[in-house]
Amino acid sequence: MLGQHIGYAPRLHPWAGTAPNPSLLVPTDPETTLGLYRKPQTGSLPALGSAESMVSLRGVSKVFPNGNWVFRDVNLEVRRGEFVFVTGVSGAGKSTLLRLLYGAEQATEGTVIVDGVCLFSSEGRRRPYRIPPRPLAMLRRRLGVVFQDYRLLANRTLAENVAFVLRAQGLSPAEIRRRLGPTLKMVGLTEKRDCFPDELSGGEQQRLSLARAIVNMPVLLLADEPTGNLDRENSLLVLQILERLNSFGVTILMTSHDPYLVERAGHRVVRLEGGHLYDMR
Amino acid sequence: MHSLSRFLNKIRYLLQETFLGLRRGGWLNWAAVSTLLVLLFLVGIGVELSRGVDATVQSLGGQLEISVYLEPERRGVDLQPQVAQLPHVAEVRVITKEQAWRDLLLEMGIQDEAALETQLGDNPLVDALRVKADSAEILGQVAEQIRQLEGVDEVYYGDRIVEQLAQIQEVLRLGSLSITGVLALTAVAVITTTIRLVVMARRREIEVMQLVGATATWIYLPFILQGCLFGVVSALGAWGLVLGSQQLLQEALEQLIALPFLKVMQADPGQAEFWFLPLLLLGMGVFLGTSSSLIAVRKSAGRWF
Repeated sequence: MLGQHIGYAPRLHPWAGTAPNPSLLVPTDPETTLGLYRKPQTGSLPALGSAESMVSLRGVSKVFPNGNWVFRDVNLEVRRGEFVFVTGVSGAGKSTLLRLLYGAEQATEGTVIVDGVCLFSSEGRRRPYRIPPRPLAMLRRRLGVVFQDYRLLANRTLAENVAFVLRAQGLSPAEIRRRLGPTLKMVGLTEKRDCFPDELSGGEQQRLSLARAIVNMPVLLLADEPTGNLDRENSLLVLQILERLNSFGVTILMTSHDPYLVERAGHRVVRLEGGHLYDMR
Repeated sequence: MHSLSRFLNKIRYLLQETFLGLRRGGWLNWAAVSTLLVLLFLVGIGVELSRGVDATVQSLGGQLEISVYLEPERRGVDLQPQVAQLPHVAEVRVITKEQAWRDLLLEMGIQDEAALETQLGDNPLVDALRVKADSAEILGQVAEQIRQLEGVDEVYYGDRIVEQLAQIQEVLRLGSLSITGVLALTAVAVITTTIRLVVMARRREIEVMQLVGATATWIYLPFILQGCLFGVVSALGAWGLVLGSQQLLQEALEQLIALPFLKVMQADPGQAEFWFLPLLLLGMGVFLGTSSSLIAVRKSAGRWF
């Protein structure tokens, strides 16, 4: 069970051949994971940090330096292969929650574990544990992040924007070329590979940012309001792509305040309100 | 084989990114390189000059003589063996007062001895000894010993020249140290600013790179390399300028310091000494360039990681 990588079943999708070596997915360095992922767990619910669990938040609180509470004592379990919507009004802390998961923000209290790697823990420690830069970088290579404002590189073409990710991770040009095609095909942008971002429509830009997030074949995709700037048609297109990824086994965590989209998708929904997290469906 | 291709891939990435950084830097590259170049050039000139002065002091050691003037009734030949026995004395030459008188008259352009004698009366000079020591530093000590001997009236040696050279050395050292210090600070400031601006220009890319798990080394090494490259280019340029200006330097020296025997060292490539200067310049350039870019990225690297 340990180290087993659910998702990316080799026969299911075209880029299976380039999937990362599963043995690398669960780091064996206890210091980076607090040894938590090693504990054997049984029961109906996936236990904290077990191989079943993709995201574990336990008793997580976040206070901004100015003293504002974002959330208190939040608990969340996301299993591998799940599709979860995070809803809530603007300013409820949806983005902050995602930021905790890819290490752009540190929790104030509690434990944050993503894909078996502990990012933060204050449990049983006088000084909280924070993930060091290098393990964090290695974890981020297994994550994909999508933003509402796309965050594309304006001076690079579509293909270069996607290739940039792989280049930043040190892959060879041949390997980059090999992965580029299937990824662009997946988001339906093969025709526009030489366009610059400002020559694309909003929906196309968001699909490009999606391509960038999935080209390194993440096990977890964090989408922060990916449909926030899009019309209904494009929103549904993005949702479709995410669902297709989910069918390959990619765990998806998506924030949205579009009730229509959330309703239509019919996936698990959690809601952030008043600093607490409620399981809605 | 696999690791080799990975290594080559890394090298290619680093070179490409460094080149990209240079392109982004534009004219600022020139500012950084030229500041560093001026600094290294001055350091090079300073080193060459003080080597010249050192060499002059060395070669003067063989030329400097102690002039010993005896009391009027003493004869030089009597004192010669005594002086020759003193430690560090290499050679003792006797100049009798008759010899000295003749030389003096010749120098004054008077050929007719008889005529002169009637004008000046008796030979007013005394016997003298010319003493050479085996090194320039020991000159003062030997002169002091000779002064103690009986029958010695006055002792002179080239202490003025040695003092002057020592002063030149001191001024050179102080001047080059202070100029080097000030210019080094300027160079660090310019390079730091250049690299920081390039980092700013690529802020968006760096953000994305961090997001997708690029390590700090991978992101920032090209910037460090860029600083290092500034150092290498400036050092090569400065060395070329120093080599090219050696002749000019020699002429300037002769006019300014009025010491015609002061030589700029012209070492040849076969000697280890020849490579001292380029290596020094290269070392300084690379150190300054690299540490400046480290300072520039330390802040951003620290903030993000």
